[in-house]
Amino acid sequence: MSNEIKISIGILSVGLVALVAYWFMGEEGGSKSLSTHEKVEERIILPQYSAQTYRDIPEVKAYLNDLKKVIEQGQAILPLERSELDSNGVLAQDILLKDKAFLKDTMQNGKLLHNDMMRIRPAIVSVLSASSQTICKTHTCYQAEKYNYVSNTTSRAVVDIESKKVLEVTNHAGMQPDISLRLTHIAQAIALNAPEVAKELKKTPRRQDMSMANVRGALQGSPCQNSEHLCVAPTFSDHEKEEALWAIVDLTEMTLAAAKWAGLGKTTTPACISERSLQNRYIMKNFCEKDTHLEQNGWKLDYRLTGSDGLEIINVEFNGQKVLNTAKIVDWHVAYEGKGEADESGDVVMAGRQVEFVKGDEGKFFFGYNDAMGCPMFSTSVVLPFNGPLVKELYDEQKRKVGFYLTQDFRNPKWPMACNYRYENRFEFFDDGSFRVVGVNKGRGCGEEAIYRPVMRMDMAFSDKENFYKYDGFWKKWLTEQSDFQKDAKLYDQNRYLYKITNENEKKGYYIEPNRGQFHDDSRGDNATLFITKFKEGEGDKDLLTLGSCCNLEEDGVERYVSKNESIDGENIVLWYVPRIKNDARAGHEYCWADTVIDSNGNIEVRTFPCVVGPKFVPIK
Amino acid sequence: MLKKYLPIIISLLVVSAVAFVVINKKNSQTTEPKTEEKFIIGNFNKQKSCARHPQFLKQLKVTQPITIDLSQQQFKGLAFLWGKNFSKVIHPKAWETYEHFSTYALDEVGNAYLAPMPFISIKPTTFNLQKNIYKLDSKTGKLGIFMNFDDVHPSASNPYGIISLVYDCDDQTLWVSAIDESDYKSQKGVIYHVDVKSKRVLQRIEGFDALTITLLKSEKGKFLLAGSARENALYAYAIENKILSKNAEKILELPSAQEHIRKIKVRGQNLLELQTIPFSYTLIAQTSASDERNHYDAKWNKKIYKWTLTIK
Repeated sequence: MSNEIKISIGILSVGLVALVAYWFMGEEGGSKSLSTHEKVEERIILPQYSAQTYRDIPEVKAYLNDLKKVIEQGQAILPLERSELDSNGVLAQDILLKDKAFLKDTMQNGKLLHNDMMRIRPAIVSVLSASSQTICKTHTCYQAEKYNYVSNTTSRAVVDIESKKVLEVTNHAGMQPDISLRLTHIAQAIALNAPEVAKELKKTPRRQDMSMANVRGALQGSPCQNSEHLCVAPTFSDHEKEEALWAIVDLTEMTLAAAKWAGLGKTTTPACISERSLQNRYIMKNFCEKDTHLEQNGWKLDYRLTGSDGLEIINVEFNGQKVLNTAKIVDWHVAYEGKGEADESGDVVMAGRQVEFVKGDEGKFFFGYNDAMGCPMFSTSVVLPFNGPLVKELYDEQKRKVGFYLTQDFRNPKWPMACNYRYENRFEFFDDGSFRVVGVNKGRGCGEEAIYRPVMRMDMAFSDKENFYKYDGFWKKWLTEQSDFQKDAKLYDQNRYLYKITNENEKKGYYIEPNRGQFHDDSRGDNATLFITKFKEGEGDKDLLTLGSCCNLEEDGVERYVSKNESIDGENIVLWYVPRIKNDARAGHEYCWADTVIDSNGNIEVRTFPCVVGPKFVPIK
Repeated sequence: MLKKYLPIIISLLVVSAVAFVVINKKNSQTTEPKTEEKFIIGNFNKQKSCARHPQFLKQLKVTQPITIDLSQQQFKGLAFLWGKNFSKVIHPKAWETYEHFSTYALDEVGNAYLAPMPFISIKPTTFNLQKNIYKLDSKTGKLGIFMNFDDVHPSASNPYGIISLVYDCDDQTLWVSAIDESDYKSQKGVIYHVDVKSKRVLQRIEGFDALTITLLKSEKGKFLLAGSARENALYAYAIENKILSKNAEKILELPSAQEHIRKIKVRGQNLLELQTIPFSYTLIAQTSASDERNHYDAKWNKKIYKWTLTIK
């Protein structure tokens, strides 16, 4: 056999073996790959630090200083730095910063609005109108994009460099552009300096570990919970574990909005991430699906978010002594006064709520709704939690630390727009064993003349046999279920306490100190109605749907559980406390109110005027 | 000289030719996605429906065009809009008795079957109303409860019950979906197959939360399409001999995780229209602003075995 034949046979053998191997080889070529069906467990991290943490980052600080200077100079647009522009770009920017059409949306009620020039580059044909295309065939044209942070609008302009003319300006409301290099660096700096990111990565993150997911493609929507904010998502990939940490950076607020660990599969691209859905899942998993235990300053308790009764604390103890079985705010009754005939023609819906009408006296009527607060998914609530519950330190008016408080922020997604609401459920725990159940309303209602009534439910835990007293110059024991108008009371024990609740032998108990504005929180008092009922299953121990009428001001809803014949003497009793607050929208007197103004940087600033209500419970010593 | 190297040249040519065939063949095979990744329903087209408008409309001299309005924007319950620009309305107060509806299906004689929906506020009656299918009688226009499902239990932690239905012209049955049993951790939705005449449940499949369902016939058979309440995806159940397959197969996914398919319409050859809403088993979804709803055209491209989504 000749050598040529041997070589031929070799070629045929090797070739065919290689082809057979190729035929049976998997698509992945033997490399390890994550199937799109393989799911990496999603872990969500919500921000834990104040906005100031991020504003102290040098890149952010410099940017905010530059912005301030620009506004002070009477300009609304923060221009691109020279390093981001070629010579024609510099010229185009100069022309545009003086162009009336381009500057048209940069002022509102005499106030300059924060705008950033985002990109200036040679024009591409697809963005040009037919007339501009004709000109730009023979002339050098540049396109520019600026973003208005207040109106969430992108403006695109085309400049004829040779004739130094602006050929066209188009505005795209609700759209966001690709961001400037400077903002890219700022977003990276926020992600690199965010303590939450470092904690998750278990090391100080490095720039080279990060890839920058810009807002891909021109003019896309935002992944932020507030879809009107400009957000981007720098990413830290761990290729060994095949997962990545997405840090969602809010460039409108200059903060870390949220972060998420997710697989590197195609189903977890930044387009699929939104801060709102991250928050919802985080809150569901951590606070709706399970109780959280807290031990601090002698206090022990569990807490959770309910389906429609807000934040609930349970099994509360102080120094080993039982204090509360549970406390929560069941809902907020919201009522407005109207004049004339009530609309009974059919269903009226206002800001996503069914409106109830109740006839009043003297040609008046009341209308409104009951706002339930609760879990963001699988619930009947309409006011949703933002971030999870937080524990913060509590200070007195002399700035001395006196305890801590647990708080949960609930908002309508469009707050502070009209008829959207923001409530805070707060439980304050003092080092001396006192505690306070607090409801905070931050507006903004539908207008003036709103009456808010948070329905608070507290089940004390001294023993199964409890006694209740009201002070009327002396302590008078209540023997049956009944109610009392705190707002009418004239006499208070030690000028503080109106009620007290004790165990059977009266060795343990708490005074109840209604809020009459003495707690240094600018409150105008509770003006509450108090109800005492015997504990019964189904009367608020589980999640209550909204209780009673929003707008019948003669009743608070709890009346249905009160029977004058039901004894409470030595029984397990439940305390209901319903403050009554009137809002105020008058300039300088705002109360339960929120407003938006343009601040000195040309950005929207929300001003809140909270009203704070709720009784304090002080241990009897 | 040439003769000497001819065997080598021939062997190289043979290997090259075989390689060409093998590579092409393999590439052509990989064009079609693996069934584990994508379920193929095949080519389809819009089918003629047996649905008829209620007969009482004729007595009222209502003329085309006619539409049934369940939007709850102007009218509670249901309303018939007709005439030029749908400016004329039929909406007796009695049609508000059972509160709000989410979907309807018409049969071949003009009866309308309606699925309930909790809307904005919860009232003491709301949960019970979610347990029923309602029927608007074709001849009388009388609205009543058609069938009660005692295994449907809406609650404060999931106010939804029966949520969608579709009429099957082939066998005079209804396909019905309910999502009441589901919670954050587990998907326990049920799809019922109901015989309209006997009101008997013919089949009950558990484990999938269908926010909407519709029927589709393709070259590969008959399918029940289901928009997932939990995922941003469209699923399909094969129907063979009137029996629904046990498992739903994902056929396409929407770009955003927050989007859930609320309506599916077969628009034409290999073309579906999908309407999406944000949905989280709260009442917020139903009250969400229209700018949070999206409409997609989903086109099945038979050449590359892919769905193309176009937002409208």
